Amino acid sequence: MKRYLRLYLHFLRFSFSKAMEFRLDFTFRILMDIIYYVVNILFFKVLYLHTPLLAGWTEAQMMIFIASYILVDALSMTVFSSNMWWLPFHINKGELDYHLIRPVSPLFFLSLKDFSANSFMNLLIAVGIFIYSLATYQLEYSVGDVFLLIGLIINGTLIYYCCQMLMILPVFWTQSSKGFMDLFYSMGLAMERPDRIFKGWLRVVFTVFLPFSLIASFPARLFIEKFDWPTFLHLMGVSLGLWVVMLFIWRKGLRAYSSASS
Amino acid sequence: MKWWRYVVAMELRKLLAYRSDFWITFLGQTLIQLLVARALWQMIFATQSVSVMQGFTLEMMTLYYLIVPIGMKILTGENIGFLAREIYDGTFTRYLLYPLSVFQYKTITYLTYSFFYTTQLLILYSIFRIFISEAPYTMTDMGNLLAGMALFMMAAMAYGMMALMIEMVSLWADNIWSLMVMLRFFTSFFGGGFVPLTFLPQWAQDALVWTPFPYLVSLPARTIMGLTTFEEVARGSVIIGVWILVFMEIVKLIWKRGQYKYTGVGI
Repeated sequence: MKRYLRLYLHFLRFSFSKAMEFRLDFTFRILMDIIYYVVNILFFKVLYLHTPLLAGWTEAQMMIFIASYILVDALSMTVFSSNMWWLPFHINKGELDYHLIRPVSPLFFLSLKDFSANSFMNLLIAVGIFIYSLATYQLEYSVGDVFLLIGLIINGTLIYYCCQMLMILPVFWTQSSKGFMDLFYSMGLAMERPDRIFKGWLRVVFTVFLPFSLIASFPARLFIEKFDWPTFLHLMGVSLGLWVVMLFIWRKGLRAYSSASS
Repeated sequence: MKWWRYVVAMELRKLLAYRSDFWITFLGQTLIQLLVARALWQMIFATQSVSVMQGFTLEMMTLYYLIVPIGMKILTGENIGFLAREIYDGTFTRYLLYPLSVFQYKTITYLTYSFFYTTQLLILYSIFRIFISEAPYTMTDMGNLLAGMALFMMAAMAYGMMALMIEMVSLWADNIWSLMVMLRFFTSFFGGGFVPLTFLPQWAQDALVWTPFPYLVSLPARTIMGLTTFEEVARGSVIIGVWILVFMEIVKLIWKRGQYKYTGVGI
């Protein structure tokens, strides 16, 4: 564990020095994420011009949800996104060989080696939005509620990572992951909507099989509404199941990997 | 200019090289965005207990969100971002050696994708109107569809020019990917991709009239749905036409200044 922590600190140091070499890009990326946050907040503001409640939530309650998924996005962009972008190329070009022979878990290395320093600045802004949404929230909540929400947001980031991996891993067999990745980004839209809007089979898909609704909507629901065990257990059960499925497919994929020009 | 036919054929072959990818992207993206948007608006209509909001019924809203994702594909195509990458890694040099204009070549490859997605729009819209919609599919609807498709192609030209302007920034900057994403956010939000523009406050709608954004997604989509007047379409076509000319001039200016920055060996 200590060895992995030390390795991750090396990743961080290297990523920051790399990011500072491309200063203009560094600035552009910060601006890009700020625009993403503003556009998302404006979208819901426009909707609330036409309805007082959305999925049973007021605008202030919705702000907690928006801040939650913005935080998940910022965490994911900072920690995983660059690695996820390059993973299919590593598999396709046979570059996985170098990672398989290293004395560390290849999944750890490939998922975490590239820390996005520029997105880290946006993570700070996302934290600011999160604090603002809590400060302007008028209903009562305890410190424990806030800690629970933060814990569930971190869990949501891991769900997001697992879903993304599940869309990338078919590249072991299909040679191109573009279609699935495009699909993943489209499905990301489900993360940005309250889960209550989904009914019937669509609800089953987004709360069990591809649980985008569990990333931010369930955590926000557990914070805004009364804590209930069935929702919490559902969230934990599906998160665990998703992690197991992802690891299973990763191992299957490694067995199918045929090195160079896979 | 006969070479353009070969370029079109080559680009289409490239587009269809990974067929499973292609169909997953096309059907998956369109259907997911449609289903999520419909679920959201169904909830809003139910909460408000109304059948019409800002001139849209739920069925019209569904049709709108069927058109919008394909409209965004028509605009963003598949080839955007390549010029910046070629400048970055130095492969842009080949266009300087080829006996053809790099801008003509890039415009044709880009419009090939746009045209291809426009035909997909034709197919999906027709399926919706024939098999799903309760209203009959009339000749007027087909006329609206053709007018909307033409407007989408003009919008693609304008968007392509905006994208080209940004891509040429890579003659100075090392990475412009984030600028392209910003353009997509702006186009999506101010163009009516997130929510129909009639839902924005009136002051915002008025402010957008002279910008290119409402004519990139909202105008073509509403024209297909038969929600625009002839005057609106004509005015929109003129405004977007003027913007295309303005963007072309800016592209020329940037190229004039930036071409000497290109080192030929990449950054």
